[in-house]
Amino acid sequence: MRRYAFEGIHVLDFTWYGVGPVTTKYLADNGADLIRIESSARLDGLRLAPPWKDAKPGVNNSQFFASYNTSKKGITLDMSRPKAREIFLKLLPWADIVAESFTPKTLRQWELDYEHLREFKPDLIMLSTCMQGQTGPHRDYPGFGNLMAALAGFYHIAGYSDSELCPPYGAYTDFIAPRFSACALIAALDYRRRTGKGQYIDMAQYEAALHNLAPALVDYFASGKILGPSGNRAARYAPHGAYRCADEDGHERWLAVAVATNHEWQEMLKVLGNPPVDSCFSTMLGRLDHREALDSFVGQLLGERRAEELTTALQAVGVSAYPVQNCMDLHRDENLQAFGYWHWLDHSVMGPSPYEGLQHRLSRTPGELRSPAPSLGQHNDEVLNGLLGMSAAEIEQLKQEKVVF
Amino acid sequence: MGSELLKGFRMLDLADEKGALCGKIFADMGVEVIKVEPPAGCSTRAIPPFLDDIPGPDRSFYAIAYHAGKQSVTLSLDSIEGLQLFCELAATADFVVESFPLGYMDRLGLGYGKLRELNPRLIYTSITPFGDTGPGKNYKAADIITWAAGGMMYLMGEEGKPPLEMSLPQAGLHAGAEAAVASLIAHYPREIDGVGQHVVIDMQACVVSTLMNEQAMPLLHGDYLRRSGIFTGAIGGRRKTVFRCKDGYISGLLAGGAYLPSTNATIDWMKEEGAAPAWLTQQGGLKSLTPSAFMNAAEADLRELEMAEEALERFLMTKTKKEIWQNVLQRRILAAPVATVADIADDPQLAARHYFVEITAPHLKRKFTMPGAFAKLSETPVGPAGAPPQIGQHNREVYCGLLGLTPERLVRLSAVGAI
Repeated sequence: MRRYAFEGIHVLDFTWYGVGPVTTKYLADNGADLIRIESSARLDGLRLAPPWKDAKPGVNNSQFFASYNTSKKGITLDMSRPKAREIFLKLLPWADIVAESFTPKTLRQWELDYEHLREFKPDLIMLSTCMQGQTGPHRDYPGFGNLMAALAGFYHIAGYSDSELCPPYGAYTDFIAPRFSACALIAALDYRRRTGKGQYIDMAQYEAALHNLAPALVDYFASGKILGPSGNRAARYAPHGAYRCADEDGHERWLAVAVATNHEWQEMLKVLGNPPVDSCFSTMLGRLDHREALDSFVGQLLGERRAEELTTALQAVGVSAYPVQNCMDLHRDENLQAFGYWHWLDHSVMGPSPYEGLQHRLSRTPGELRSPAPSLGQHNDEVLNGLLGMSAAEIEQLKQEKVVF
Repeated sequence: MGSELLKGFRMLDLADEKGALCGKIFADMGVEVIKVEPPAGCSTRAIPPFLDDIPGPDRSFYAIAYHAGKQSVTLSLDSIEGLQLFCELAATADFVVESFPLGYMDRLGLGYGKLRELNPRLIYTSITPFGDTGPGKNYKAADIITWAAGGMMYLMGEEGKPPLEMSLPQAGLHAGAEAAVASLIAHYPREIDGVGQHVVIDMQACVVSTLMNEQAMPLLHGDYLRRSGIFTGAIGGRRKTVFRCKDGYISGLLAGGAYLPSTNATIDWMKEEGAAPAWLTQQGGLKSLTPSAFMNAAEADLRELEMAEEALERFLMTKTKKEIWQNVLQRRILAAPVATVADIADDPQLAARHYFVEITAPHLKRKFTMPGAFAKLSETPVGPAGAPPQIGQHNREVYCGLLGLTPERLVRLSAVGAI
């Protein structure tokens, strides 16, 4: 019986930063043998980005990088050197998949784009993922995911009002695109299994991300309406939003609540001690019509209460509620713990380090964080000797020449 | 229409807004996705806004966007006949995806343990708000609840004011896409050894996974990030990331490190157009920004950076999003318009790639333009497979065609309220 879903699948991975590595992590955590090809001459920017072990920067000290590169091996090749290209082409027959996330011209310069690689390996599956795709006037746009979140419309649907935007945190679209590119890669693997045919996947992170905005786009094309920010207002829930509770240990605490029916509203009022209530709040329509007054009423009722206690009490009577958690709270969250979300892995340089786990669980062939992220070039000898049979002297020579670099 | 990528596989889709996107991604990849709906229709059909502002089960833009290319059958899980029919359908299916409260399907005798006896190949994917073992396993969760529990909400909004969700709720979309990936991970070995499995999706964890580098910050740097409106509070600075322009907003950043060439290109542009204050263009004008320091500006330099941001905003206020975007692309500035759906609909890049596709919905006598391929696959293109279905539109096709019931039987099942 197979232990992992992708046992025996081999991946050569040029991707860097967020989307590519998060995509290929699905394969690696589920058993694929994956070799990341990095270089000091072209360092993955995440290797220098915080958080760092002991808050000290260093190429092998970034947990940002480590989070997205579990279960992977790492070698270093400076691909601008002709000899590096030769070594890559020797590794190619081993691979089922090649993945890359440079701007489109990079692999063409190295003559390692799909058109070249398929000549060496006709059934190759290759993923290229970049901001805006391999074609079109904006294909070489070099931005980061936070800018893509603006360009793909997410900044404009976040905020208290049109004049008070509050964007989602970070490179938001970097965490939409990988699930789509992982679907494409795995389905392409299955297609190859059935037909023997490989293929090329041109993934524009922009185009994948717009699927999380689809209803608003369909609406615009049909009606001309432009979705904007709307605070926490919802059409089907009232109350709906985050309400401030009692501070705890000097920190603000908020409770997210969503009430879908009059019955839930009555139950919520009971939990809150049956306070006197304005009659205009007794129906859903009334609550929707008087939303601001409702928010202020609920805010007053919750102001002195504790968010955790309210969550337990409200959920016990069937009302949707949960504390608004900060990043510290997440590590103490009993539900994430029960799902087995947090892991400490012993990194070769960083020592025991905190990793995120998987967001899914398979009953028969569960994936897992099979190993911590590789340090830069950690598996040079293992791969060059083990897979290509190079001698220690040959490898040392390549290091001296800064081909393995 | 209909991709070759996963042609020949069948999914029963019982997911609501916690996972409608899962079946949509599968339909885009060529899977025959059958929505199994209660006779009154799936709850996603009631999500506003509606076509022409007229509510109705076929008119929700959410349902139109995320059910396009699926089929629909009705089936009452409250009736014995309905349960029997579901078992017959499940025996023919490759995938089931559901997002009911934990234990609901088990109580009906339709849990994974039961269905695997009927169909050992089946991949059965359950989307849960908080997993299936913890103290919150039975918690109810509208989208905003897992958004809050997963940590993204805390980071959106102004300090002192309520944390925010987006006006198009996102948690269920992340969970739906994760369900698609995880179902395919289970699919790959199943096609080799013929054995399916149960897949559980944790929606809260799906939201945590969008937090980039923030989740480990408290453990390694000792503190957690606060929300800060349009400012980035990350990495030891407080820099503006959204600027007003003539007709909206621009996202950008004046910073050092990887942003330094972009910052310099921005200042050069202002200089060319006579919009840079003299102090800014002098040698070492923004002395706090260096190639090595992203934004660890000293106290004394912060005021200078703020003044530069003010000058930049004054400059951008004289230009439209489109003008700025053209310059950003030419000058390789790291910035982007804060696009509205109208800007996106008008984007020449998407047009050049023929991204948007038109779907005809005969029952509404309308055409809908919607996002197309989520990726371009050379051998097996993917994309929306057809119109969104009406409630039970495919009852006859599926129950008579697939399960072999007679039309008379179908009428009788309808009469007893099973379909």
